[in-house]
Amino acid sequence: MKHLFLLLLSVALVVPCLRADQPILFPHSTHINKVHLKCIDCHISADTRDAATIPGVRKCMLCHAKIAADKPEIKKLAAIAASGREIPWQRVYGFEKAAAVKFRHGPHARHKVACATCHGDMPNAITAQPLVKHNMGTCISCHRQNNASDDCATCHY
Amino acid sequence: MVIDLDRCTGCEACVVACHSENNIGMSTPEEAARGRVNHWIRIDRYYEGQFPDIKVKYRPVLCQHCDEAPCEPVCPVNATYHNPEGLNVQVYNRCVGTFYCANNCPYTVRSFNWFDPKWPEPMQLQHNPDVSIRPGGVMEKCTFCIQRIKRVEDQADAAGRPVADGEVQPACVQSCPAEAMIFGDLNDPDSKVSRLAGDGRATKLMEELGTKPKVVYLEKAR
Repeated sequence: MKHLFLLLLSVALVVPCLRADQPILFPHSTHINKVHLKCIDCHISADTRDAATIPGVRKCMLCHAKIAADKPEIKKLAAIAASGREIPWQRVYGFEKAAAVKFRHGPHARHKVACATCHGDMPNAITAQPLVKHNMGTCISCHRQNNASDDCATCHY
Repeated sequence: MVIDLDRCTGCEACVVACHSENNIGMSTPEEAARGRVNHWIRIDRYYEGQFPDIKVKYRPVLCQHCDEAPCEPVCPVNATYHNPEGLNVQVYNRCVGTFYCANNCPYTVRSFNWFDPKWPEPMQLQHNPDVSIRPGGVMEKCTFCIQRIKRVEDQADAAGRPVADGEVQPACVQSCPAEAMIFGDLNDPDSKVSRLAGDGRATKLMEELGTKPKVVYLEKAR
């Protein structure tokens, strides 16, 4: 019984990390822990602009034209690069249209909000996945704790 | 905001710019005939004299961002209120479409989405990503291009300086070829708008209602 419980627990912990609904099993953990890339090396405008942005396939191929080119996921990547298309990444975070919310990364990065505050432990995650639940409560509580504006029109316009 | 009526030529560039900047839906002629038009700014025309000896006067009318806004106290869900910057803002996701605010607005500058907004092709491809698209059943109005205000404040904050006078330009102000519209901070006594608002030509629209409008019209008394 105890073993079954442990098995279920390990499945519950591991399965979300192996979610393969992204077109390529991009391991954030490898790139951050082994290659020592910073978040903004790929999400280049996360600290300055509104959108963090996702790198284009050409950026991936800067390294992967040579590195680990024989691995199956990299072969997938190379095939997409050769086709001249972009990787059809699935959106992970976002707001409902009806919420009329505009989130801007720039001001948050400038005021020293760590990426992990909203995006969770990405250094130990595989594919992009919603590790942290985003709702108005999380935004507002953080805004109030840090004396940021809690005026509706700060975000809803 | 200050609007110099002696400069306005009624070209409606501001109306087009506003539509384009703020993702305002386009109504059809049939809908327009039923009064279901969406404009955040319109040009009122006044005729003087008899044809052919006629004089036309134009007046761009947008939300006056009244200090005593009649639209605000009637909203049952607090979707419209004054924000700390003095803007009369509309929170789209709060709005339940009671229409009370539009009924109570003496300037009739609020527009209601009777249906989900539509654009004739290919105009649906030029939406401004900085502004949300309001669904049907939601009231909307001029925001003084709040997305541009936020952007400029953001840039100023990043550079560690205050926002310069005239740095924020709503779409209508930017597009006005006659430079009839000027936007700025009325609370700053040194700003260009404050100076012009103290001009002898300054008037406010329907000021006698006690709404304390924040749009000043400059017009030579005739």
